[in-house]
Amino acid sequence: MSASYILKRVALTFYTLFVVSVLVFGITQILPADAAVMMLGENATPEALEALRQQMGLNDPVWLQYLHWAGGVIRWDFGISMRTGQPVGPALFSALGTSLTLAVLALALMLVLAVPMGIIAAVRRGKLADLAVGFLSYVGVSLPEFVTATLAVLLIADFWGWLPPAGYIPLTQDFVGGIERLILPVTVVSVMMIAHVSRMVRSELVDVMHTDYVRAARLKGLHPRRVLFRHGLRNALLPTITIVALDVGYLLGGVIVVEEIFSIPGIGRSLMSAIQARDLPVIQAGVMIMAATYSIVNFAADLMYAWLDKRIQYD
Amino acid sequence: MPFNRRAFLGSTVAATALAAVFPRVSLAQPTPEAGGTLRVAVDQAVSVLHPLLTRVNPEYLTAELLYSGLTRLGRDMLAEPDLALSWEGNEDLSVWTFNIRPDVTFHDGTPCTADDVVASFQAILNPDLSSPARNNVGPIDKVEAVDATTVRFTLTSPYADLPVALAYNNARIIPASVIAGDFDSLRSTANGTGPFRLVSYEPDRMVVVEKNPDYYDPARPYLDRVELHVFPDFGAQVSSLMAGDIDMISTLGPNDFLRLDGQDGIDVLRSESGQFCNVNFGTDIAPFDDPRVRRALALTVDRDAMVDFMTEGFGTKGNDTPLNSSYPFFKPLTQREQNIAEAKALLAEAGLPDGFEAELVASDRPAIRTQLAVALREMAKEAGITINVITMPHATYLDQVWTKGAFYVGFYNMQPTPDGILKLLFTSDAAWNETRWNNSDFDALVNRARSTLDTAERTDLYTQAQAMMNDEVPSIIPAFFDVLGAKRTWMQGYDIHPRASVFRLDHAWLDASAPTKG
Amino acid sequence: MTDFLGRLLRTPQGFLGCLIVGLIFVAVLGGHWLTPFGPEDMQALARYKAPSAEHWLGTDQYGRDILSRLLDGARSTVVMAVAATVIGTLGGAILGTGSAYLGGRADEFIMRTVDAVMAIPSLLLALLVVSLLGSNSANALLAIAIAFMPSMARISRSVALTVRKQEYVSAAIARGEGSGYIVLREMLPNVIAPIVVEMTIRVSFAVMLFATLSFLGLGAQPPATDWGLMVSEARQYLHRSYWILLWPSAAIALTAIGFNLLGDGLRDALNPRT
Repeated sequence: MSASYILKRVALTFYTLFVVSVLVFGITQILPADAAVMMLGENATPEALEALRQQMGLNDPVWLQYLHWAGGVIRWDFGISMRTGQPVGPALFSALGTSLTLAVLALALMLVLAVPMGIIAAVRRGKLADLAVGFLSYVGVSLPEFVTATLAVLLIADFWGWLPPAGYIPLTQDFVGGIERLILPVTVVSVMMIAHVSRMVRSELVDVMHTDYVRAARLKGLHPRRVLFRHGLRNALLPTITIVALDVGYLLGGVIVVEEIFSIPGIGRSLMSAIQARDLPVIQAGVMIMAATYSIVNFAADLMYAWLDKRIQYD
Repeated sequence: MPFNRRAFLGSTVAATALAAVFPRVSLAQPTPEAGGTLRVAVDQAVSVLHPLLTRVNPEYLTAELLYSGLTRLGRDMLAEPDLALSWEGNEDLSVWTFNIRPDVTFHDGTPCTADDVVASFQAILNPDLSSPARNNVGPIDKVEAVDATTVRFTLTSPYADLPVALAYNNARIIPASVIAGDFDSLRSTANGTGPFRLVSYEPDRMVVVEKNPDYYDPARPYLDRVELHVFPDFGAQVSSLMAGDIDMISTLGPNDFLRLDGQDGIDVLRSESGQFCNVNFGTDIAPFDDPRVRRALALTVDRDAMVDFMTEGFGTKGNDTPLNSSYPFFKPLTQREQNIAEAKALLAEAGLPDGFEAELVASDRPAIRTQLAVALREMAKEAGITINVITMPHATYLDQVWTKGAFYVGFYNMQPTPDGILKLLFTSDAAWNETRWNNSDFDALVNRARSTLDTAERTDLYTQAQAMMNDEVPSIIPAFFDVLGAKRTWMQGYDIHPRASVFRLDHAWLDASAPTKG
Repeated sequence: MTDFLGRLLRTPQGFLGCLIVGLIFVAVLGGHWLTPFGPEDMQALARYKAPSAEHWLGTDQYGRDILSRLLDGARSTVVMAVAATVIGTLGGAILGTGSAYLGGRADEFIMRTVDAVMAIPSLLLALLVVSLLGSNSANALLAIAIAFMPSMARISRSVALTVRKQEYVSAAIARGEGSGYIVLREMLPNVIAPIVVEMTIRVSFAVMLFATLSFLGLGAQPPATDWGLMVSEARQYLHRSYWILLWPSAAIALTAIGFNLLGDGLRDALNPRT
């Protein structure tokens, strides 16, 4: 892992953010809504609207508006929300914190469940356990989050009353209440990833266990469990890092749906209400933050991969 | 009292209903107990905190908790004292004098005087602020402070409804110093004379307010705290009420109402209302410039089926006028019913014997708009009229169709007065002249009614105006919706208001069985 | 071809996948004749009925026959999903092969840009496109197609690059095989196979994405029979009947499972080396 590799990766991340910024700015420019009307409402006089357009630079050429906006983003100024008249940045970053709590817990739950499931399925290949994991993972990748969420709320919250049906309490404020309300959404978000990753772990592990390298280790008379964990798993889990990082895209999408259904005030819900209300600055900043999260996670995953790969090579 | 005009249904005990209508006439009802935190579910974000700029119900509720107006709107649609103790109009109702409560203070401790009232109304009337109240507080020309506790409104034309109009949701009193200074600070902080003070404000999650110990009525509010929880998903707020996670749902749909009706520990709340969903015609665009075509389409509507289909039975039939028995000064006309033969005859008379084809635009929020459009499509088929329904995002609709289009679906809250709704939508000088009907005879009737104090005479004028609308049909108004809500039984002193945007939570209280008590 | 079909049907995934997808296509093509009721026929007296001999899957909030609506919805939901996938694949293929063909800096530029677009979650990208164009089924189709393009471009590019190398083709020529054999047995499977497999699996994503857009109110609009919309509407009537919710949910899940299984089966059948 050379400095030039890292440098290139950093440059790529910035290029990604540049492309996303052009894209999202373009989309918000074409959105059929008059930003001034959105801000002042249906009661505004034409003069007031025109004054606001002047003040907001809505009459400037598009490229100039883009430069203004992008310049602001670089200075960490994401503009003013049309809905609330408040700065976009602080509100969205606090929402991002909520979403990250949800996403990180979902990732953790996924790793705790998916990796052992994949290992068991690979080790007991063709046996009942393998079939069960296979079946569950097919069902898991085939259920959209809104279906899982609706069924979960119906059964676990409404019918059995085991957990609260919706809402969010920051963990710092009331840990138990907060966790209680996070269990359902976290589970729902992680279902699809558990299904996907457990399948990947299984197939990678099956492949690795058939490589000459593992066969050689086995022939040397090493204990099967040692072969599995020291040689098989380390190599099989490596590609899983990349897969998990790519799955963060689905995770972020799932977060949008789940936050809507469970009334969690995260970035997904901010984006949904911004899209519905045509709150352009919030849409722009929200998409940028989502894309940045995805890019950074993938950047980190690539670095980790490169680093671990080297260690495994010379182990 | 027009109490008997309204039907109270559901499992609400009559005593609770009465308590809300006559808050001061306490007979056999339990005495309010102080304390506790009320948790309210609202269905939209509280995006705007600025009391003069609020636009949706959760924002109105927040403003109502934090600020006072000069008057407030009772469940009987009459004005009640708020900051104004009493008021009086001159002979021809063009000059009104309001006496302000003495010794009222804002949350920061500064006194609230006539100067603050004057400054607030000047801000409301300033077109640069674009406050929705500007079109709704009446034809105010001038506001002056006579002395520290007296304010005089001089109007451009006589207006009998001024005391009710001043109860408008956006007509809140704010400190003159804030208006002159950092006016925008009201977007994130609050300084009013309302029953509660702001504790925290997160637009998409929660608004928390606490009891104002210096409220002008020493008995109220009874609650220590009120939390507004934002639930964009209807299913989630119903589930949370059943789980006891919240105490009250401010707005409910018919199906969720049915789901909650009869559940242990839950009261469902219902009130007839003037809220409606209508089909607007651009009366300056063919073929809708011909009143016969409009009336023909109105005759295809099976109104009983509309009430069932759109409201699940939680509504009343409309007669193509925006008024119904929830409004004062109302007298019903002969109800228009479905008559396909007459519709066909009218179409033939208008030169369209084979019917016609038209595109009906319905925005996607609320979903009831699409339902109306689809139902009308099916009903109009019988008269040979082909309607193609086009749905679009609400923002696009506001931008491209609203007040401009030829044929589209509207949705309106009940207004405090007949004048309010007619001047909002149907007169030539209406703030939102959706139909461009521009009928000067109709305008004259409405203007005469607003300068008439005599109830019988006013009723007669509005009835004539209604008859004109019913005849010319600038808009099809097939059904009115009841407003629905729900609460836990442990919450008392609250009933739903026909106007849907008025809440009066300073009268609400929690009994000993509420989980947030003690 | 029969040989390939035999291989496909011998794998459990392939067999099950073919069965489910086959059934779904019967529903799509024949649904019109199979439905006992019209999808929009309302029966005021038969609302919220549980499954019975007359209404196999019960009736919904307006007394509409759920089976008839599901079969009708199969057409919109599945056909739309397949169409969105095909359009997305075609668009992606043009972009990807074009990029591979151009090579060099242009290739680098195009692919980096494609990577950048992939940083926006596909659901979010679809949401943005739909809100740009307006909420209806046709726009949802386009939105999903656009959301699929970047990843399909990536896959077709790598396939195109493999074809350029063509080691297995040279090997076949060296073995003295006829050109017909080379094209049919060596090139085609290697070019088409990965794309077909990916497309099949993508159809199940498209079905779910469609349903999710409709659920969020940005796809099909009432009274459409789109499955996602049916689930979304059914949530209001849960206290009356669970069936209205369960059947369309099951239909979505079954369709997604079917295409997933078929995709895996195809991968195994097309790729006999592993």
